[in-house]
Amino acid sequence: MEGASRKHYSEIEKQEIFDQEFLPHIHAMYNFGYRLTLDRDDAKDLVQDTYFKAFRFIESFQKGTNAKAWLFRILKNSFINDYRKKTKEPNKVDYQEVESYYNSEDVNRQITPDLRVDALKDMIGDEISNALNALDVDFRTVIILCDLEGFKYEEMAKILDIPIGTVRSRLHRARQLLKEKLSEYAKSMGYKNE
Amino acid sequence: MSEPTNPFVPIEGKYPTCMEMLQLILDGEVTDEQRIYFKEHMDRCMPCFKSHEVDMAIKQLVKDRCCGEGAPSDLVQEIKSKIATTD
Repeated sequence: MEGASRKHYSEIEKQEIFDQEFLPHIHAMYNFGYRLTLDRDDAKDLVQDTYFKAFRFIESFQKGTNAKAWLFRILKNSFINDYRKKTKEPNKVDYQEVESYYNSEDVNRQITPDLRVDALKDMIGDEISNALNALDVDFRTVIILCDLEGFKYEEMAKILDIPIGTVRSRLHRARQLLKEKLSEYAKSMGYKNE
Repeated sequence: MSEPTNPFVPIEGKYPTCMEMLQLILDGEVTDEQRIYFKEHMDRCMPCFKSHEVDMAIKQLVKDRCCGEGAPSDLVQEIKSKIATTD
């Protein structure tokens, strides 16, 4: 994934890798771009830029390895370096706080929103999508990578350039926050949180 | 009946808490032995069982409802032409 050893591909091989290993992930990439930026035009630019970079640096990609994780990593880096800088969106997550929270003894004593499965089943509209989009982008990202795209913790750590322990704690906190949002929806739908 | 041995590996000398184990189970980051151990635990522990049910339902909902943003149909062509012109 880091591309320590550069490959030498012929033009035909490059095209084959691009068409057969990179392009099949276009919808997942676009959805990821959209969930990060929450804007369809920005998502399109981000995906275009990612594929452009992927082609330019194709020789640092090893044929047959996890192309999806490699592409997601490029997209995430483009988002942080180009898009986030451009929009000057501050990083709102205080990670130190998250880490100490997760490692504290309080973690099992916290109040978990009492959501019920039947309340969740009644959320047939945009509730889940809206709740996810309302999370801070770093929390949103781990949920997308894990629940939507099915990446393993180890792959997520590589995509995000963070230790596995941080993947776990960030995911834990992200799910808590998502539950809180869904719990608010459940309440507004008339479900009582006992 | 004696408690079965906890097959979870302690991190920094501490066994993971129930909430941490629930997350590992949910995300399939466990061995078969760990999964069976925790499943048996859930048979005896209502809070863990309920929590696992809700977590699984949310994970499934995210999967079903949050992947609707398919790429525009012209995007692949745009990418290909951009690459072709800068080659």
